[in-house]
Amino acid sequence: MSVSGRIGKGFVVGSTLVSASVIFLIGVFLLLYSWDAVVREGWLLFGGTWNPADGRFGILAMLYGTAAVTAIALVVALPLGLATAVFTAEILPGRYRLAVKSALELLAGIPSIVYGLVAVALVSVWIEDLFALQTGRTVLSAGLILAVMILPTMITLSDDALHHVPRRYREAAEALGLYRFEVVRRAVWPIARTDVAGAALLALGRAMGETMATMLVVGGVDRLPGSPADVLLPGQTITSKLGREMAETAFGSVHFSAMIFMGLVLFVFVLGLTMVALIYFYHPEDRRYV
Amino acid sequence: MPHRVVLLAAVLSTLFLYGCDERAAVRVAGSSTVLPVISRAAEQFRVDHPEVNVIVNAGGSGVGINQLGEGKIDVGMSSRELTAAERDRYPEADFRIHAVGLDAVVPAVSSEIYEAGVTSLSLDQIADIYRGEIGNWRGVGGPDRDILVVDKEASRGTRHVFMEAVFGDGGAEAPGADLVLGSNNEEQTAVTQSDAAIGMLSVAWLNEDVRGLAIDMEDSSVVSPTPERMAAGKYPITRELLLITTGTPEGSARQFLEFLLSADGQRIVEEAGYVRLR
Amino acid sequence: MKRISRHWINRCFVFAAWTAAGLCGLLLAGLLAAITWKGMGAMNPEFLLTRARDFGSAGGIFYQLAGSLLLVVAAALLCFPVAVGTALFKSEYLRSKRLKHLSTLLVYGLNGVPSIIFGIFGLIFFVNVLDTGVSWFVGSVILAMMMLPTVVQAAYQAIESIPTMYRESARALGLSKWQIVVKVLLPQGLGGAITGLFLGLARAVGETAPIMFIATAFSGVDVPGSLFEPVTTLPTHLLALAQQATDPQALQNAWGTGLVLMGLVTCFSVLGLVSRTKLRRFSQR
Repeated sequence: MSVSGRIGKGFVVGSTLVSASVIFLIGVFLLLYSWDAVVREGWLLFGGTWNPADGRFGILAMLYGTAAVTAIALVVALPLGLATAVFTAEILPGRYRLAVKSALELLAGIPSIVYGLVAVALVSVWIEDLFALQTGRTVLSAGLILAVMILPTMITLSDDALHHVPRRYREAAEALGLYRFEVVRRAVWPIARTDVAGAALLALGRAMGETMATMLVVGGVDRLPGSPADVLLPGQTITSKLGREMAETAFGSVHFSAMIFMGLVLFVFVLGLTMVALIYFYHPEDRRYV
Repeated sequence: MPHRVVLLAAVLSTLFLYGCDERAAVRVAGSSTVLPVISRAAEQFRVDHPEVNVIVNAGGSGVGINQLGEGKIDVGMSSRELTAAERDRYPEADFRIHAVGLDAVVPAVSSEIYEAGVTSLSLDQIADIYRGEIGNWRGVGGPDRDILVVDKEASRGTRHVFMEAVFGDGGAEAPGADLVLGSNNEEQTAVTQSDAAIGMLSVAWLNEDVRGLAIDMEDSSVVSPTPERMAAGKYPITRELLLITTGTPEGSARQFLEFLLSADGQRIVEEAGYVRLR
Repeated sequence: MKRISRHWINRCFVFAAWTAAGLCGLLLAGLLAAITWKGMGAMNPEFLLTRARDFGSAGGIFYQLAGSLLLVVAAALLCFPVAVGTALFKSEYLRSKRLKHLSTLLVYGLNGVPSIIFGIFGLIFFVNVLDTGVSWFVGSVILAMMMLPTVVQAAYQAIESIPTMYRESARALGLSKWQIVVKVLLPQGLGGAITGLFLGLARAVGETAPIMFIATAFSGVDVPGSLFEPVTTLPTHLLALAQQATDPQALQNAWGTGLVLMGLVTCFSVLGLVSRTKLRRFSQR
């Protein structure tokens, strides 16, 4: 092999190693630095009280907050997004598709801090007035802004899923004299549904990991509500806790380590969701990424 | 394609060379209470000392002290004294404390509550509110409205000083809190947005929407946070605005501290809403 | 009877789809309109060209704009070679189908990692373990990591779209493997990577969570004096402003900053779109 060939191969292999190592590096460092908290606190890490001043580091309130905002986001965005995708893929004439897709891409690109501003300046005020609350910084407000954030992704991925069903299935169903509803239900849906499920899982992962919008509007109170359905109260998610408190902790303290542990939990959850979505439902090799 | 690669290399090397040019920098971080003084002072300081860059970051007193202890910054801003735990955490750091001004932490309420007649509270009443034992403004002679109790993050100096005065323990828990927020700005926003909130704010953040309460003292006098009373030590929740260094400050950091204590610097302290030291 | 109920179910179905689409359209258009409308109120040459004063509630955002661009451009430069190399390896040297699939999973997995996790990782690895301090450089490295999946995937797909015939004819002409890579695949790969880079930039420029602990300063930074000093950026500036959402002047500037940030994101997205269209034309040539 020529010299330039050898250097070239070295470069190519080297950069691949760098790329592949990033995700492992992140995982290993999170594990390494949360170890201290795991060893010292053990199962107490999943307790209900977080008070660094007394050395209590229970992350249950944050886990609840994350689950609650994600659930709200999904409950709103999934049906709305799916129904809209049915419209764009099955009802809207094909010539408008590109415009709709471009608009959705633009919306999906709005930075999360801008959503945060919208949340804190508009949504929280509306929620406060609508439910006559003391404060509009609630779990519900965070869930709703997340729903709006993941809506474009949800629509565009579900639209792709429906659109990729070959024409002949629809044509065959139409030839049988079926209504559009029946065409979609009997011919299109059975093929598209695994991809739609994948899309929902990816959107779920994104909602779970969102930080800025959630942090500004969720309230910042690390307390479990009386009932899990009390979403009109302020709460705290893993991401908002990390965003607010990470910089306050001293490197090497148990507090720091417990924060990293929370990050690890989030990392594992989101990565798990992404992997399940990719392996079982959504097949990225079949479509173009760019 | 080669010309693109050359261009890329050229840009990269320029960046790298650029990276090698270092100016003197004073890195400051910490309390959001001290921040307005320091960031205004830094702007002024740069006019006279263009060769020095004063880089200011917020985060809270605890953050400033930790970062100083870890050697990440040159000057920490703090709105409270160092705790014993902090001194123990960084045994090799020789913390030196420099006061630059005076501040009061004031229980601040939404203007609607103030106008409805709640203009002063005793420390015990405030403690009951933060403990969750008084949940309605009626309990302290106000209108029949639930109190929105706004707390602050544990590392905030303002909270530490407030809790020290109210509960006798800077790290006390506040089970009555409805919201936990960070900077003075964020706290001020929440109290403004509500019509029944109480929060803790530095005196410099009070305005017509966020009104400061006077304190009912045990000798039944009522003390409001005026500059005169603060300077005389009469207002019960008064504190010094502190800058902390490790060892005796040298070079640019020393110049900056001297500037803050000069007449110009002290005027900035006053303009920011605090009380000057000299 | 049966026929009528089928007919009605269908009507309801179509109606529901229309309603949902209308609702989404209104919601999303309303969002864009609100951001634009509120942002336009702050927009004037002074806002864009002067420095921020009084916590950002007075003055402009010139240095924040400059700092954001510095941060993401340095990130793009760091990301680019690594991404192109990875894409070439994946398409030309990686034979096993399973390994290819694994590498796709890794790329998508990295793409899904929440942005705050990157921030924490940067805080541990760079700021604490390597003790680099809070700096422009660290922010750029972390953003480069975040952009990596997009750029790798775009470059890879561009390379994959080159017909096998090209490679075969190049081999028939006696070119070595590396010569084929440089002469045939690299140009196309670079094009794809540039498309990916624009899309990655569009995401990176709006990110707050990864850089807020590790790269930015609140004030006192105009243009960083070196790669190892902190920068000031639009997203972190917006974060500081959004926390004082009742001061009308701060809020005004917050919306203005948001609109400028959206403008940057849109610019990069459009550049990506244009470069993608150009690339398609090339590959069909």
